[in-house]
This record gives sequence, C-alpha cells and structure tokens, in this order.
Amino acid sequence: MKILVPTKRVPDPDQRVRATADGSGLEDKDLYYVPNPFDLIAVEEALAIREREIEDSEIVTVGVGVTDYEKELRATLAMGADRALLVETAANLDPWNVALALEKVVEREQPDLVLMGKQAIDDDSNQVGQFLAARLGWPQATFIASFALVEGGAAIQRETDTGMESLKIALPAVVTADLRLNEPRYASMPQIMKAQRRPIDRVALEDLGVTVAPRCEIVALEVPSANRTCAFLDSADELLDALRNEEVC
Amino acid sequence: MTPAPVSESPLPQEELTREIFGNISPASKLVFYVLAVVSLAVCAYGVWQRVRLWKLGRANPARSGMATALLQFMARVVTQRTVRGRGVASLAHALLFFGFCLLALGSVLVAIEHYAHDLSGRGATDPVFHFGTYYAVFEVTLELAGLALLVGACWFLARRIRSDTSIGHTAADSVILGTLIFLALTGYATEGLRILREDTHQPGFSFVGLLFAKALRGCGIGGTETGPVHLVTWWVHAVGALAFVAALPYTRLLHVVAGGLSVATQEKRLGHLEPVSAEEVEETGRFGVGRVQDFSRRQLLELDACVSCGRCQDVCPAHAAGKPLSPRDIVQDARGALNIVGPLLRAARTAGTDEDDATSEMPQLHGDAVSAEALWACTTCNACNDVCPLGVSPVAMITDMRRHLIGVGELRGAPARSLEKTQRQGNPWGLPKEDRMAWARDLDVPLVTDNPDFDILYWVGCAAAYDAHAQKTARAVVQLLQHAGVNFAVLGSEERCLGECARRMGDEFVFTELAEHNVGTLSSHDVKRIVTHCPHCLNSLRQDYPEVGGNYQVLHHTALLAELQAAGKLPTQDTVNGAVTFHDPCYLGRVQGETEAPRSVLRTMLPDAGALQEPVRRGKETACCGAGGGRMWFDDEAETRVGRDRIDELIGTGAETVVTGCPFCLRMVTDGVAERDDGPAVKDVAELLLEMVRVAREDT
Repeated sequence: MKILVPTKRVPDPDQRVRATADGSGLEDKDLYYVPNPFDLIAVEEALAIREREIEDSEIVTVGVGVTDYEKELRATLAMGADRALLVETAANLDPWNVALALEKVVEREQPDLVLMGKQAIDDDSNQVGQFLAARLGWPQATFIASFALVEGGAAIQRETDTGMESLKIALPAVVTADLRLNEPRYASMPQIMKAQRRPIDRVALEDLGVTVAPRCEIVALEVPSANRTCAFLDSADELLDALRNEEVC
Repeated sequence: MTPAPVSESPLPQEELTREIFGNISPASKLVFYVLAVVSLAVCAYGVWQRVRLWKLGRANPARSGMATALLQFMARVVTQRTVRGRGVASLAHALLFFGFCLLALGSVLVAIEHYAHDLSGRGATDPVFHFGTYYAVFEVTLELAGLALLVGACWFLARRIRSDTSIGHTAADSVILGTLIFLALTGYATEGLRILREDTHQPGFSFVGLLFAKALRGCGIGGTETGPVHLVTWWVHAVGALAFVAALPYTRLLHVVAGGLSVATQEKRLGHLEPVSAEEVEETGRFGVGRVQDFSRRQLLELDACVSCGRCQDVCPAHAAGKPLSPRDIVQDARGALNIVGPLLRAARTAGTDEDDATSEMPQLHGDAVSAEALWACTTCNACNDVCPLGVSPVAMITDMRRHLIGVGELRGAPARSLEKTQRQGNPWGLPKEDRMAWARDLDVPLVTDNPDFDILYWVGCAAAYDAHAQKTARAVVQLLQHAGVNFAVLGSEERCLGECARRMGDEFVFTELAEHNVGTLSSHDVKRIVTHCPHCLNSLRQDYPEVGGNYQVLHHTALLAELQAAGKLPTQDTVNGAVTFHDPCYLGRVQGETEAPRSVLRTMLPDAGALQEPVRRGKETACCGAGGGRMWFDDEAETRVGRDRIDELIGTGAETVVTGCPFCLRMVTDGVAERDDGPAVKDVAELLLEMVRVAREDT
C-alpha cells in the first residue's frame, strides 16, 4: 500500500508573529517554522497503518513550497516516512493551487491513499483536502478520528458537530486527520541523523505542469490589538456588571 | 572406612588446643579434600559464568582504582553501613554477615594450621599456632560467630515465612537459610561429640559445643559409639558446607560476590548521569540501552548484585502512586532478560554471527521485560539509588533505557511536545523567548549587558520566567539581593533552558545542544559564580555542565541567603504567624545534600523552634513531589499523580504554610493543596523571607 501525505510548514505557533509594515505578509526575520501539527497526525497515522496493518506500505510525504522547506520535511522522514518530495515554488499558493499541484503529484505517485491534516494552523483554510478529492474524483473523509483498513476500503470515524459519524469508503481516497486521531511520535536527533540519509526528491512546480492561477489574494495582514488588561474580580455580580457596563471584547 | 578408635586424648593435657581432623581417618581426609576442590571449582565456575555475562556489556566509563575500591569495601561492606536502616532486619543481616565471615575466616585459619603442621612434619598433636591464648580467642570467637549466624538465619527464615511482600521470594532462598541453620546446628553437634569423645581440656571455651555435649550425653550418647557418631556428624556437616560453597553463585548468595564488588567500585554520585558520546551513536546507530548488552559491564554486575530486598520499591514515589514502576522489578526483569539471552549472545559473539538474529526469538528487554510506561513513570528523585545497599543505580538504568525510547521515537503527547518546544523556544513551556524577562517587570533587574562587572550571576531558569508562582520567587530573590547590596546580574533573553529535564527524559542531544549554547553564553560574560533558586538547575550546573566544559561555583539561593543573613545583611523584622513546614526538594536535599541552609533561613523567621513542624520524610529521606525527570510534562489525572501522599503528609503536619525551595515542588504542592479545602499556603523560602525582611518596596 502506498500512502501519500501532503504537508505544509507553518510558523511555530509558540512564537510571536508580526505582520510586515505594509501588511503584505509576515515578518520573516527569526521566524521559526514547524511542520503543520495536523499533518504530523496524518504522518503518524500512515506509520501506524504500516506498523499495524500492512507492513510493506510505502509512505511518501510531500511539501509544496520554498527550498528551505526541506528542513521541516526532513522531520517527517525522521518520524519514519520512506521518502519525501518537495515541489519547489517561491510563490505563496492559495489552497486551490496547492490542490492543483497535489493532483499532479498524485498522478505521478499513484498512491492508494492520500492522508493529510484537515487544515494548516497558519491560515486555517481547511480546503486543500476537499479540493484535491474533487479534482481526482476520489471519495473523501474529512476530520477523521479513527481509521482502519477493511475489506473493500477503510472504516472511518469522522468528528462532526453533532457527534461521531462512521463511514466506510472505497480506496483510493482522500482522508484528512483531526486532532484526536492519534498522538504523533517524537522525532529525536538520532532519527533525524538517520533521516539525513533518506532522499528528498525535488521537482519544480512548473515541471509538474501546473499553471498557477491565484483565486485568493491576501489584501493585508495585521496583528490583533494586544491592548488588553486583566482585572481580578471578587464576585459574579462584579463580572456581570463589568460585562454590562464596560467595554469588553 | 574404619573410624579411628576413640582416642585416649593424645594431646598434652596442659596445652589448650584441639586436634585438627581428630577422629578423621586419612581416607576420609582424602575424600574430603577431593570434595573441597570440587566444591571450590563448582563455585569458581559459577562465578566465572556470571563474569562472562557481565563482560557482554559495553565498556565501563573510567572508574576508581583498586586502592579506592579496597577502602570503599572496608568502609561500606565490612562495616555493614549500607544495610543499616531497616531495624531488626539490618541487625540480622549484620549477624549473618559477621557470623558467615568469621566462620569462613576460621576455616581458612584451621586449614593454614593444618598445612603448616603437616608440611613441617610436626603432626596434628603439635600445632604451629593453634594453641594457648590464640586457641582460646579463636574458639570463643567462632562459638559466637556460629550463634550470630544461627540467630540471623533464623530471623530471616521467620520473616520469609511471615512473608513480607516488598521482598523477593523464591523457594531457593528458604533452602539457603535452612542450610545455614542446618550447618550451624551440625557444626555445634560435631563439636559436642568431639568434646564427649576427647574429654577435652577446658571444654568451657567451646561453650555452645559443651551445651550440645551435655544434651547429647543426656540422650545417652557418650560410650563407645561416640567416635562413629562424631564421624558421621562431621561428614554430614562437611558435605553440607561444601555443597553450600558450591551453590553460592547459583543462588541469591551471588550478591556476596557481585554485591561486594558493586559496592566497592560504586561511584555514588546522586543526580549524576553518564554522558553519551555522539560519535559512538553515529558510528553504531545505537543510542541508550535497547538490549541487555547495551548496558555497561558495571550495570550488568549491578543486576547480579541486586537481592530483591525491595528497599527501592518502598521509597519509590511512582510505585506509591500506583504507577507501573518498581525499581526493583526493573533490575530483576533486566536480569531475567540477561539470563535468557546471555548464553545466546555469547555463542553469537564466539561464532561472529549477528547478535540480534541470535536473540530475535527471545523475549526482548523493551516491551517484554520492561515496559515503556514503567520507564516514563520515574521522577529521577534518586531515592532508590540512595537507599540501595548494594550499589545499584536504577535511575541510571532507567535513563539509559529512556534514551533508547527517545532514539526510536517512542514518546508521544505532552512530554514529546515539551521537548520540541524546548528546542524551538528554549523553554519547555514553549512560551515566546522574547517574554523571558516578563517576570522582572518594574523591578529594575540588571542584565549582564548593563552590569558586566557583576560578582554573581542569578540564573533565573525557565520556571521562574514563565510560571506565575515561580515568578514570585524570582521577584523575591532579586529584591532580597538588592536589599542586601549584592552585585548581581541576570542573562535576560540570552538565558535558555539548561536541558536538565531533557537529559533526564533521555534526550541527550537536546541537552547537549542547549548546554553548549549556554556554556558559550556564560563564557562570553565571564561567569564564575552562579546563584539559582532551582535545585534542578543547581544540580545540572554542578554535575551535567562540567562534562560540556562549564565549570562554575554554583549556589542555591537559600545558601546565599543564609550567607547574607550570617553577615547581618538581611535582618528579619517579623516572624511568621502559625506553624511552618519545610518540604525538601529531592534535587536539593537528597541529591545535593543541602538540608541546612533553607532551615537556617527559616529559623530566622520563626517565633520559636516549635513553629517548624517537620514532615516525617525530610532531609535526604525526603519524598518526591512528582515533577522531576520530566514528569512535570506528563498529563496525569489528579488521582494518579505521583506525590499525592506527600501532599497529605505535608498537610498532616498541621502547618499553615508549606515552604519549599524548588519551583517545580512549588507548582506540584500548590496544585495538590488546591484540591483540598483550607489547604496551607505554599511559598518559596525567598518569598517568605521577603515578607519578613519587609523590603521597602511593595511587591506587586
């Protein structure tokens, strides 16, 4: 079984991010990137399938982005992915164009399953998985909380607002991981050292035959006002009073 | 075999001695010698088999020489110092130990006398030194030694029958104790029969033997049958003793050899861990202990030294909290794994075949013998290391096995994220590194860049930088230092996690990266003296950092505060209301042995000595709060948290204020107390001192 895990790198959510003065993007000096946490959950699930269900599964991770992305992509190899593919582009692609790029990667790699994070925690778009499934004409299951291979496909549970939905889908399919699917393993230095020896293939976005046609445009980014104060209140009445009478946002 | 005729006492009556091998025919003697050689050979072979298993381990880190080992053997083994602390059991062990050693020594002396008079041609009736005063002392000493052995063995056997669950039990143990009792009794019986047979001059020196002689006479023995009965009894005793010697390395008595060696060569440094060579990891692709042969030879020796006494389990805070960890079981289960795969490994090494292939069908160290849950439950509080009478270090074994788990990615969830956050933001909370000085707002704390000529660097640590309660400690410390006129500075945003926690979680690489960075920072500011309020930082700077080239004089803040008070620089204006109790942090009290400084500071704040209500477990015997060894970052349900019993104990002192000297203890005790109604206040020593010194500025 071949599992393709598309990933994205995102700014470390633990650091302070600042928008550039003109609001066109993020201040990238000292910006520290990490693999999108939901994508790591997808990598972990792929590893779990290989460990628990089909031992000779091949796990290929994909990144679409700048050359520097290699470092974060390497973390997926350290976790245990067999190889990684970096689709190089300097452009900041919107979800639709990422889906176009991934469609070409799927055509090239012919996976039995595309497993990815439900969304990236930088822009929280939550669109690529759905776009990709639609373009491929594959079944999709989003926000999954459990995954098991069964006769004729996979048994899946999805998290919905009203509870858990159980589905059976045929493969190949696109599946996106929610938070509670698993707890990703820790990629330590010895594994990162070993991962140095595993290949990262590179291909330019143009060479995949993708013509970028942006559908979204970032007009401006701004950091929410940090002008907040805290006050300790002594009673619920005081709280109600504050909520009614003071400017609380 | 013809028994020798009942002697008409060939020895001169005026001489105080006894004939060695009296009543034993030359043929019997010959058979005895052959059996003795066989017995010693079987014993030596058994020991050699174990030595060969120990040699399967990795080379030991450099250790102390023979002279030190000998001194340590005298100081710890011969004095029985390490087995103290268990009341009657400790006494019983000492009785057994001294009884056994003296009787063994006595046998050697008898053998020397025997060879001496035989080789010099003087014959058994003309002893070389086995007579007179020497003989009197010898006889009395051995009589007492026999009694000691008998009492000790009987007590232990009785305890086994009563069945104490924390102590390992096998049927073989009872057989050993039974054999010892049997040997003592047959020894006395043989002596009694000798007294009857020889009509010995001054039998009173053999006072227990004399009692046996009287009892035997009471049973009607004493006539012509005495000689043959003596011979038979002698043989029973002799065969029993030789069998016992032969069995020694195959039973728990192996600890006589392995434990003696282990204690003699132990380098007891609580809180110290052996470093890992990155080159070796790169070369072998192995990190930590994943298989029994990845332990060092010293550690494999420790496995054999363990007698399963259960002291470590009794003091283990994780075990007390119901976690699946018992240090004793870790050691015993690892030993079980060694016993199973050891011979296969040896065969593979001899044949030059792959070791992992040879043992692939066998139970594995990880998963089969030792579970990851047990390894992650350890708080590295070092209580087990401290209490072990046989020089075993379960903490080092656990850390080595954690290193393997880290190496293969077997860590998930919150603790794994804390390691990632430590790498990214330089603190395990993962809070922004730019916020590292947030604790010092409006306090005017000098940075190293503002005050490059500081006398002492205040190492703030991650906890005080990011944990709200610990921030109060840091705020108190700087205000006290300023009040006392100490010329200090802090690193500010240049400070990073020391990596103490990462190291104890087994991530040596994150530790090394952080440590090299921090040593660089400290060197660039020419730091020589450091004060810190965190015992984990204290221990790491004192014991981890010299290995990466960082050598500093490091003080706990309570030591510096005590020093300043002694110099009259921090006089207290007030005394604390209500009783106070002090919780010794493991890494301060047990690991670093600093129990007096915090108490001396506390005493200056108390109206009278009675205001200090100490918990039962205190000082070096303190009990863990549950946060050490990376446990701080594990998500535990409140009721399964390590250290709950400690919170009860602290509350049970009736104190209105629990004082401690560690930001992690502060957090754990505060959280534990918060679950109870009307729990005591929890404060750091500095926080309380600031209130009593009444520094002019109001802390906000």
